[in-house]
Amino acid sequence: MKKIISIFSLLLIIISGANAGSIKVVTTTMDMKSITEMIGGNKVSVQTIATGYQNPHFVDPKPSYIISLSNADLFVTVGLDLETGWSPQLLSSSRNSKIQKGSPGYVDASEGVGLLQVPSSVNRGEGDIHIYGNPHYWLDPLNGKVIARNIASGLERIDPANKDFYEANLHAFFAKIDLKLKEWDAKMAPFKGSKIIAYHNEWVYFERRFGLQIVDFMEPKPGIPPSPSQLVKVIKEVTANKIKVIISSPYFTTSSSDVVAKQTGVKELTLATSVGAFSSIKNYFDLFDYDVDQLTAVLK
Amino acid sequence: MNLQFGPKKIIPVIVLLSAIIFSNKTVAQTDSTATDSVLLKQIEQQMQTNTEVAPQQTRSGISSNPDIGVVADFRASYISQGKKNFDAYLNETEISFQSVVDPYIRADFFLTFGRDPVTNKYGAAVEEGYLTTLSLPAKLQLKVGKFREAVGRINPTHPHALPFIDLPNAFVNYFGEEGLNDEGASLSWLLPTKFYSELIFQATSGASESPSFYRGDNNRFIYLGHLKNFFTLSDNTTLEFGLSGITGPNDSSSTTNIGAIDLTYKWKPVQLNTYKSLTWQSEFFYSNAKYSANKMSNSFGLYSFLEYQIAKRWFLTGRYDYAQKPYNKNIVEQAYSLSAGWLATEFQKIEFEGKVTNVNIQSGFNQFWLRWIFVIGAHGAHQY
Repeated sequence: MKKIISIFSLLLIIISGANAGSIKVVTTTMDMKSITEMIGGNKVSVQTIATGYQNPHFVDPKPSYIISLSNADLFVTVGLDLETGWSPQLLSSSRNSKIQKGSPGYVDASEGVGLLQVPSSVNRGEGDIHIYGNPHYWLDPLNGKVIARNIASGLERIDPANKDFYEANLHAFFAKIDLKLKEWDAKMAPFKGSKIIAYHNEWVYFERRFGLQIVDFMEPKPGIPPSPSQLVKVIKEVTANKIKVIISSPYFTTSSSDVVAKQTGVKELTLATSVGAFSSIKNYFDLFDYDVDQLTAVLK
Repeated sequence: MNLQFGPKKIIPVIVLLSAIIFSNKTVAQTDSTATDSVLLKQIEQQMQTNTEVAPQQTRSGISSNPDIGVVADFRASYISQGKKNFDAYLNETEISFQSVVDPYIRADFFLTFGRDPVTNKYGAAVEEGYLTTLSLPAKLQLKVGKFREAVGRINPTHPHALPFIDLPNAFVNYFGEEGLNDEGASLSWLLPTKFYSELIFQATSGASESPSFYRGDNNRFIYLGHLKNFFTLSDNTTLEFGLSGITGPNDSSSTTNIGAIDLTYKWKPVQLNTYKSLTWQSEFFYSNAKYSANKMSNSFGLYSFLEYQIAKRWFLTGRYDYAQKPYNKNIVEQAYSLSAGWLATEFQKIEFEGKVTNVNIQSGFNQFWLRWIFVIGAHGAHQY
């Protein structure tokens, strides 16, 4: 009898252990992964498709991603048309009806985000225009709250038994965002209105939140590599506005900004656009800690 | 009943209306003042708390229409033999309509308007038109319609996505310029392995334009099996290994069997994947064609290419072809080609290709092509 009880106890432990992190989530980016982990806690196991140092527009749709998607209970996408070149194909091939668009396991994290740069008309002559608006909205920490709300709602749809758990984590996340935002705001306050140059048009939400002013981009149009005439234009702007820094991302080469730096003495700064862009950035809060610290150090 | 109004009657009416309007306005003014002061307080509070929220903007592009795209392929060509050496033409215009049908299936249509190389006339055709299930159990997926069949790597790929302009000799000898592309059903199963492994079985009603297979009046089908294995060697490198087997009727009312192996190695650094990459892809074909009780032909062919991305916009590809003729293995073609591609954006590329072909029973010849591909509208991702 004792043996039977021991075996049952062991089975219970194994079963309860198996339940920990038993909701399988696949996110398109590291930022969505980080926030999902904070909301889902030990109820979820999360995999991401894109790394943090990869251009999220141009992720290769490797068949290996289909395996994790085919087993997922929840799929979290940044949405708009950020991943349009790769995630629809992967989703269609996943054979998983739980995570198709419109299913309970599909989370579009952009739902309810106040979008910027929504075009009134679309013309590819203007470069890579995003038809729904600029999709880099996670770079405003207040939008992190909207993302977290959407992810919590998704988790509650597929796992209603743990609604209270997800809601508690969601409100803890909100509180931490509010606390950290005051800290980031305080650090950035002396540099409000600072003029900067960016490589690609992906910083509009960050710019707006922290009161920066992006004067121009290294790309003459979104997605078009820097041209000699654009470099001349940027050099003139850097000199005229006494601009201190050109910000870029890990997935762009620095050859063009090197030219501008050599001509003008402007500093080049590779900021993180996602969690995992650099080894020290482990979660969504680290992302802004890193970018704010790096920027304030250069703008001083 | 007299409905006419004289001036004496109109004046009192105007006075009465004016009194009502002005009295309402006075009331409204009183309310507005009170509302304004509340609003002013709210604005002041918002400014103090500094909780600025981005204005919600209307999202555009909401439509129930399918994604529509047009891919055009303009070509100029030169061949060192024959009477007509130079040519220029709009080779093909592909119009795609793609959408999810309902929660259970999606549909993809590719209509083409191409030039017939013999008559020089343009004609329309359904290149592909099929539905794909989204919700079958047991990791199965069914495709029904007209589709490019799952032979190795080149056949399922639309020609504009290939890194060269002509198709490899061995491929053309066995499957023709249009490839194996017919009506039927395809069932694929994602195997429960740790690496990606997909088993595909296809039954089609016969190839309408293929040197190896023939659509006759009888009830015979083409059967195809393909096993696709994909290994992630590291973050930056992958290997794909595939096996294909096809059997079906030929134009001698007998049977052709083809076995194929494909091998693709890719190096694409994740961080700078838009700047550098390398692909080494090879396919090997073996054909056993029976023509009558006493006549049979076995033949072999292969191609192997190396594509290297030297900069964000520049690609170089070198390819070697070896092809025995399916009906006579003693006729052997060997070809060497070099292609250079310049990608202006994801929606436009210009390519040049030079090719030298040697055939063991006749004199060799040279070919050059220029291809300008441009896309408008939606265009989905191609296979990795």
